Amino acid sequence: MAEWYTKEGKDNDVVLSTKACFVRNIKGYNFMPRLDDKDCQSLIETIDKAIDKDMYMGGTASSFDKNMILRLTRLQLLGREASQMANPERKAFYYNEDASLSIAVGSGEHITVRAMAQGHNPNVIKEAALETLKLEEKLQVAFSDNYGFLTSNVRLAGTGFKLLYTVSLPAISKTEGGIEAMKQRVEQYEWTIYPFAERGDVSDSDVYIIASVNTLGVTEEEILRKGEMLIADVIKAERALRDEIAGNKKDQSRDIYGRSYGTLRYANMISRSEALQCLGWIRLFHDYDDSGEVEISWNKIDKLTMDILWEPEAPSRKSSQSVASQKYRAQGIKKILKGED
Amino acid sequence: MRCERCGKELTNRIIKINGVTYCENCARLMGYDRFLKDPTDLLGDPFSPLDQLASSLMQMSELDFGNSTLTCPRCGMTLREFETDGRVGCIECYNAFNENIVREMFKQQGNSVYQGRLPAFSDEARTVPGKTDKPKKAASEDSPKAVEKAEPEAKEPKAEAPVKKETKGGLTLDKLMKADLGMLSDEDLEKGIKLAAEAEEYKLASRLRDELKGRKAGEANG
Repeated sequence: MAEWYTKEGKDNDVVLSTKACFVRNIKGYNFMPRLDDKDCQSLIETIDKAIDKDMYMGGTASSFDKNMILRLTRLQLLGREASQMANPERKAFYYNEDASLSIAVGSGEHITVRAMAQGHNPNVIKEAALETLKLEEKLQVAFSDNYGFLTSNVRLAGTGFKLLYTVSLPAISKTEGGIEAMKQRVEQYEWTIYPFAERGDVSDSDVYIIASVNTLGVTEEEILRKGEMLIADVIKAERALRDEIAGNKKDQSRDIYGRSYGTLRYANMISRSEALQCLGWIRLFHDYDDSGEVEISWNKIDKLTMDILWEPEAPSRKSSQSVASQKYRAQGIKKILKGED
Repeated sequence: MRCERCGKELTNRIIKINGVTYCENCARLMGYDRFLKDPTDLLGDPFSPLDQLASSLMQMSELDFGNSTLTCPRCGMTLREFETDGRVGCIECYNAFNENIVREMFKQQGNSVYQGRLPAFSDEARTVPGKTDKPKKAASEDSPKAVEKAEPEAKEPKAEAPVKKETKGGLTLDKLMKADLGMLSDEDLEKGIKLAAEAEEYKLASRLRDELKGRKAGEANG
């Protein structure tokens, strides 16, 4: 079955993915920072028994080999940071056939249920909520009437729920003050926006994550309602600015669009930031190109963008900027583009 | 006379610190600013040292020295550890560091009142009308104090003698009925079951028993 992020999603010219995430902890066990190894083992076994094996595969992280870790990173079940796989004997990961649903054990909280979908798809909340309910029926979760679902990170206590949209905003990024204005808009909804950064909080692309903040004083339904209003605003603003840039500077935009495609298609070495920059230009001008010379679907643009963003650190490569890395990346891009050329 | 550090001829002021003579510039560079103050400065602004003292005291109160050794009786996490990385070690920490947690939640979210759904296993979620379908009603206040008021709907305690019966830990049936069960320690739950059974409050006793059973099941399942 195709992996979740290769499927065609709604509004995927702007929204790369929608993710819903619920965290829960089990009564009778300390939270992760104070859970000793013996109890952690017991916790993993308890949760393992509650997981529907007809639906989920996976298991304890210590049983995963390097290739499996690379695959899980590409599927966005693991973060790119090496720390994600620290203490693998204290962690477990389960995922369904297309990896759109996953359950992580021991990653910050006892249980993290995640549903992911390509493009703009609010259904992920229902899917994640349903899986969470199934686990709640089988396991006794830590809950308080005052604080809701109790978590080790007190900033997640309450609903333990986060909704995230990964968006690519080339037109807003290229407009002076665009991101600042967008930040203000997002804050009005009491949400947050931050760059999908390789290191620290400095943006190295036009990809951003828009995420809910509050887990208290708000219901899951309200988070969804606000999120949907906000993402509609973001999509509208980005498309309006693409119209303006492509309309006012059509020749320049078309030129950069063609060059960007050429670079991706024929380069033998390419850095992460250059590849993402080229993809940003392709995204910006894609719907305005009437020459018919460049053929690339939105699905391919998204797949390439996510492949590069979630590029795992291959074991043989020292750094993402090394010659080997750049060659490896360029080959991967060519391979995907070749199918349509 | 020359500065013993840079060798420059001393013109205006001679500053002698620990027997070494410095020029003004070198004294500043060496971090001896306090020696540069002219005694007449104090006369010009006699309250400035008091201001400094007051601001230092204000900073100290923010550090909350009184509670810095507070420790969770169950997992041993200290308040200082919680304040350092914002994470607690167990359910009991929510009781032990209650004030600080509420403050942290309020700082981050501007709210500390839970309004989401009840867990799927909860008896209340199944039996209390509307609770499973609808989110809990919003509390009238958003202040941290509202947390105390946002207790679950309490049943009217019977005005009989057992209601007033109190355990050593200060538990009463009234308190138990209003209590947030998730926040009670195992010991309190055990005491509460006895207390409720003696008072023939069987519904309460079974709620407490279920809560305790759930916790033990979590421990035993492994």
